[in-house]
Amino acid sequence: MPRVIDGRELQPPEPLELALMALDTLPDDEELTMLLYCQPHPLFDILRRNGYRWTETVQDDGTHEIRIRKA
Amino acid sequence: MHPNLSFEQAPPVSVPYRFFLTAPLFGVAAGLLLAWLGESAVASRWSDGALALTHLLAVGFMLQAMTGAVMQFVPVAAGGNVWRPGLVANMIHPALAIGAGMLVAAFLVHESVLFRLAGAILLTTVGFLVVVVGAALLRTPARGATILSMRIAVFGLAVTALLGATLAEGLAGDASWPLVELANVHAGWGLGGWALLLLAGVSYYVVPMFQLTPAYPAALSRWLAPVLLLTLLLWSVQLGGWRPDWQQWVWLAGLAVGAGFAGVTLWLQQHRRRRVSDPTLLFFRGAMVCMIGLLLSAVVMALVPAIAEHPRLPYWLGVLALPGVFVSAINGMLYKIVPFLNWLHLQRLMGIGMLPPNMKEMIAERAMMVQMRVHFAAVILMLAGAIMPEIARIAGLVFAVSCAMLGRNLIQAARFFRNFRDRIRAAAPSPAP
Repeated sequence: MPRVIDGRELQPPEPLELALMALDTLPDDEELTMLLYCQPHPLFDILRRNGYRWTETVQDDGTHEIRIRKA
Repeated sequence: MHPNLSFEQAPPVSVPYRFFLTAPLFGVAAGLLLAWLGESAVASRWSDGALALTHLLAVGFMLQAMTGAVMQFVPVAAGGNVWRPGLVANMIHPALAIGAGMLVAAFLVHESVLFRLAGAILLTTVGFLVVVVGAALLRTPARGATILSMRIAVFGLAVTALLGATLAEGLAGDASWPLVELANVHAGWGLGGWALLLLAGVSYYVVPMFQLTPAYPAALSRWLAPVLLLTLLLWSVQLGGWRPDWQQWVWLAGLAVGAGFAGVTLWLQQHRRRRVSDPTLLFFRGAMVCMIGLLLSAVVMALVPAIAEHPRLPYWLGVLALPGVFVSAINGMLYKIVPFLNWLHLQRLMGIGMLPPNMKEMIAERAMMVQMRVHFAAVILMLAGAIMPEIARIAGLVFAVSCAMLGRNLIQAARFFRNFRDRIRAAAPSPAP
């Protein structure tokens, strides 16, 4: 069951806080999906440093959908 | 859609913080000076006290805080690679403070050598800042309204400093330059070209991101900077020593651009996705109301010549623009940026499974709200000083208290960062021998 964080109504850094907590318990074979109105570069920096990979798609309403899993 | 922040290029936190922590000291000095001078500071735009007060706020408070914001914002949000930010901050920060102090002293004691020294220090320092930040903004691959706005803002800062140094030389000697027109154009470029365009460029990013509003309309963010630039170029015609009648329309047009930006910002705030009010949002709201107040004042001036000629009218406009618009907006912005930078820098020192403390713990919400009320009380009292000059002293004291409280709140946040960072470092495993 994929985990989803909808950070579109949250003030920074709340989406990042939720993502960090979720990643801490994310099993290797599961992915975390984030929905945001921006590209979360601070999160990307963290993911890069800690061995995660991600894909990003932008929806018509401007939502960035970011799918994260262990590299 | 929100813009993007890249944190890998962020400078050390000490770079912006030294500017942020110094700015309130000049605010305290401005408040105390108003309290000391009282009615004489309010009487005329050209009084020594009024000029000293203006520059304590414009160079001491605003330029310090805005330089810190630019040093942080250009690499992180505009993708610009600022050359050796630590070294640049080490040079610019003390020079700005000394230059501001010297300029204020020059106004108060009328010493030619102080005017010349202040002009030389500020022109050199701002010139260096403009070259370093301007190069980063010209080289960045990023595009968009914020980059355009910031590029023109930095150009506006250069023009302001050049005109300011010319004025300082004019005041130091007996140059037969048109000093009134020079001062009008200097103020226009400083407040409109530099301060307003920087505020707008940063707002395009941070208002939607932190206040959860829709994005600024593309037409506004695309056209505001070029229209304001054109307005300022037309305003600069008076440097030729003459002021044609149509200059009044240029003045109104410039204020209308500012009021348009303010109106859109208020509309965006009304349509924010989560209806939570925090000090940053309320500070911004107050700043935007003052910006609209400037336009309304100018319209009344145009319709009622007796008001336009009143000697205390420039003081009224100055209070609306400096403490009302820019000190309010900067104050609100600092309350969001400083805890956010604390959080991000602390997180970089921690692993995935650990979270820095909540941003609300870094500056107590109640302390920010109390300071905000004191600040707006000071702005209202200062405005009332245009009608009842005898309360200017009280207004100055209240403003000094507000700035002291701002400084205390920011120091609290900086201490929080330092203490928590030291705990993280102390808990980190020692490297193998």
